Amino acid sequence: MSIDRATPPSPTEPRPYHFPHITRTTLPNGLRILVAENHNAPLVSLRALVRSGADHDTAQTAGLASIVADMLDEGAGSRDAIQLAEEVGLLGAALGTGADWDATYVSLDVLSRNAEPSTQIFGDVTARPTLPEDGLERVRAERLNEILQQRNEPASIAGKRFASLLYGNGAYGNSVVGNADSVSRLTIDDVRRFYQQHYIPNHSSVVVSGDVDAQTAIGLVTRALGEWQPGPEPARPVLNTRPIDASRIYVIDRPQAVQSEIRVGHLGVPRSCEDYFPLSVMNAIFGGVFNSRINLNLRERHGYTYGARSQFAFRRQAGPFVVAAPVRNEVTRESVSEMLSELRRIRTGDIEDRELDDTKSYLMGVFPATVQTASDIASRLVDMELYGLPEDYFDRYRENIAAVTKEEITRVANKYLDPDRVLIVIVGSAKAIREPLGGLGLPVHEMDIDGNALPVA
Amino acid sequence: MLSLEEYKLANGLRVVLNEDHSAPLVAINLWYHVGSKNERPGRTGFAHLFEHMLFSGSEHVGNNEHFRYVQSVGGVLNGSTFFDRTNYFETLPSNYLALGLWLEADRMGWFVDAITQEKLDIQREVVKEERRQRYDNVPYGTAFERLLHLAYDPEYPYHWPTIGSMEDLEAASLDDVREFFRTWYAPDNCTLTIVGDFAPDEAKRLVEQYFSEIQPRGSFPAFAHQRKPLSHEQRETFASQVQLPRIYRLYHLPKMGEPDWVHADLLTTILASDKASRLDRVLVHEKQIAQDVATYILPTEATGLMLLQATAREGVAIEQIESAIDEEIARLAVSGITDDELTRAKNRAEIEHAHQLETFDARADLIGMMSTYFGDPHKVESWLEPYRAATADDLAHIARKYMIPENRVTSLFVPAGSAA
Repeated sequence: MSIDRATPPSPTEPRPYHFPHITRTTLPNGLRILVAENHNAPLVSLRALVRSGADHDTAQTAGLASIVADMLDEGAGSRDAIQLAEEVGLLGAALGTGADWDATYVSLDVLSRNAEPSTQIFGDVTARPTLPEDGLERVRAERLNEILQQRNEPASIAGKRFASLLYGNGAYGNSVVGNADSVSRLTIDDVRRFYQQHYIPNHSSVVVSGDVDAQTAIGLVTRALGEWQPGPEPARPVLNTRPIDASRIYVIDRPQAVQSEIRVGHLGVPRSCEDYFPLSVMNAIFGGVFNSRINLNLRERHGYTYGARSQFAFRRQAGPFVVAAPVRNEVTRESVSEMLSELRRIRTGDIEDRELDDTKSYLMGVFPATVQTASDIASRLVDMELYGLPEDYFDRYRENIAAVTKEEITRVANKYLDPDRVLIVIVGSAKAIREPLGGLGLPVHEMDIDGNALPVA
Repeated sequence: MLSLEEYKLANGLRVVLNEDHSAPLVAINLWYHVGSKNERPGRTGFAHLFEHMLFSGSEHVGNNEHFRYVQSVGGVLNGSTFFDRTNYFETLPSNYLALGLWLEADRMGWFVDAITQEKLDIQREVVKEERRQRYDNVPYGTAFERLLHLAYDPEYPYHWPTIGSMEDLEAASLDDVREFFRTWYAPDNCTLTIVGDFAPDEAKRLVEQYFSEIQPRGSFPAFAHQRKPLSHEQRETFASQVQLPRIYRLYHLPKMGEPDWVHADLLTTILASDKASRLDRVLVHEKQIAQDVATYILPTEATGLMLLQATAREGVAIEQIESAIDEEIARLAVSGITDDELTRAKNRAEIEHAHQLETFDARADLIGMMSTYFGDPHKVESWLEPYRAATADDLAHIARKYMIPENRVTSLFVPAGSAA
């Protein structure tokens, strides 16, 4: 049988996709509960979201929010840390706790036959942790060693220095994990105070998804967290950003490096930005997907890197916009130069129809593939709660992407990208890259991995 | 039970269908039975470099167009290479099943005339950057490579990691690409798995339409290597750019799927998984001498291996960590494990298996693995049976028989000079 191989086959009729129905309720103590049933696998995902994270850390308490999150499984209810882990394991569950810039999370994934006892443990970890003093010493020692290890990880160093240069010492400027000084100083009173102020039901949401009936799930969460005591809602910290008056290069010396970790960027926008959809499409074209301009240029055209990408970190307040790639030492200047020229090009309105159509249909079409699991669905509901997205958000997502035009992309590229005022942070071998970088005609500052200025060599 | 249907085309292509309409998606997954263990010294890293080439176009698909075709309709895709196999996969909206099959058939049957020196040179640079990013420029990045060098003699193909050496990547030629393709890439060396929202009759018609005219190879070079047993423990101390010392161990095991391999898999959970696991509890939680511990086994077809690693806290000597680990292994070998520990380990195996079946893509990959390594896709359904049947003594037996000095290699990573 001979067939036409030169022409790609046409699609058949698309099959409809519907995001699972969401059942919502709010308990008298203010805790919001969202449930999405999905009976494809015998698994249930539970998520608690507390709307405070490392954005509440100060220069003195950097690391506190994530330390408190790490303390949640150091003992809860009547169990110590080991008993808690044993009980979770006997139920066929996996328990996780953590904090990022905007929030703190507790997660529990479990075989659905054990959803009931697991929800009780989940409630204890969230609302009744014991926060023991010896637990803090364990968590602190582990954290200090983690911070020490990061001193040899180029991507981690680049991220820390970029955030610090952009945000200074305030929210988003310190590392989520803190630094050796701040972590050494934290006391159990700091931990307990943070917990009491922020871990309150009227500042939190619980999401359940998977193989459980919605009313049953609400009953289980009510039993586990109905007695959780509310309190005054904490105020949102103010973001202190430093305006960038002109582009500058910061080289952080790592003498043995065989690659340069490059970060080029500036302040971005909050998740609530009215231009979220055109910005998402613009970033996907620029550097958000494999076939984006930045990756095709640096990887597939030049072979400079294994992967280059860009991102608007959409947070509750304005996160950074960053273009990132690790490249071999010899092509560091060329890579920065290509990044800057791509930033300039996307602002000129030079966008092909095919590029726009491909990107929009990718963003519209890929959604179902990213929400196959109970855990994926739970994460989407957590986002919805954290960023205050409208109830029909996932139902209207496709039409919002479809509506983006070439003109809007050019407009947002000009409004939110500024290639003449970027921070360029490079972690690499100063000896190997210093001189070529000088050819870019931008001021070059050298610093150590802690951000201390080094004399110009 | 999954609804699995297995059949072969006349050219030897094994096809496995798993119909599931719970989402309007279809996962297409191809396992070629070739990996880095089919490379020869001097061309290490080639199977993986070849995988990159297979994304750079075929006769009817331009350079980078494979990615574009899939992504522009909302699909996700990738490929990966390991010791024993290379897989290629995409998950598409289900109405694009034909597109995915057309793309995969084109590179299975019409690849070799589309390659150019320029495409090879670019992908060679990309892969070298991959090696720098993952191995050479990060702390502990070369640990696995060093363990393999210690554990297997230079002729045995697990001696080198899939990424290969810079020197060998540099040496790869267009002729190597052609020869590798002609030796290994053929329908009778492949399993095509389709999972998701499709009508079986239509899927079979499309598979026949796109793949049936690709010629089979008939025979493939046999894997004839035998691992030489160690006569005694191989050890090294390696000073490098790390802040904290770390111990790496590799223990030899029977190959994947053997009863002892399954029991070793359960034992890794008991040794290091959560705070209540042995090494975590004693080294990290109680004595607080270790920063982290981890144990795992890899899905390997030719021979098995268990990996163990532990990082020392600042100021703790790596020797102290090693003695504490050996003490716990000895305790386990002598006193065995508890029923609760066994139950927890079995629970974890069950939840991990459930997670693998949860998405179409991971399920298709698991089916591809079972078909390729065991010749039986239905092993996906019976996979947990030997786990459920395992006894506490089966696990203690692993510690006694395999976790002994004569059966292991050890690499100690220690900080070099002053930290930078």
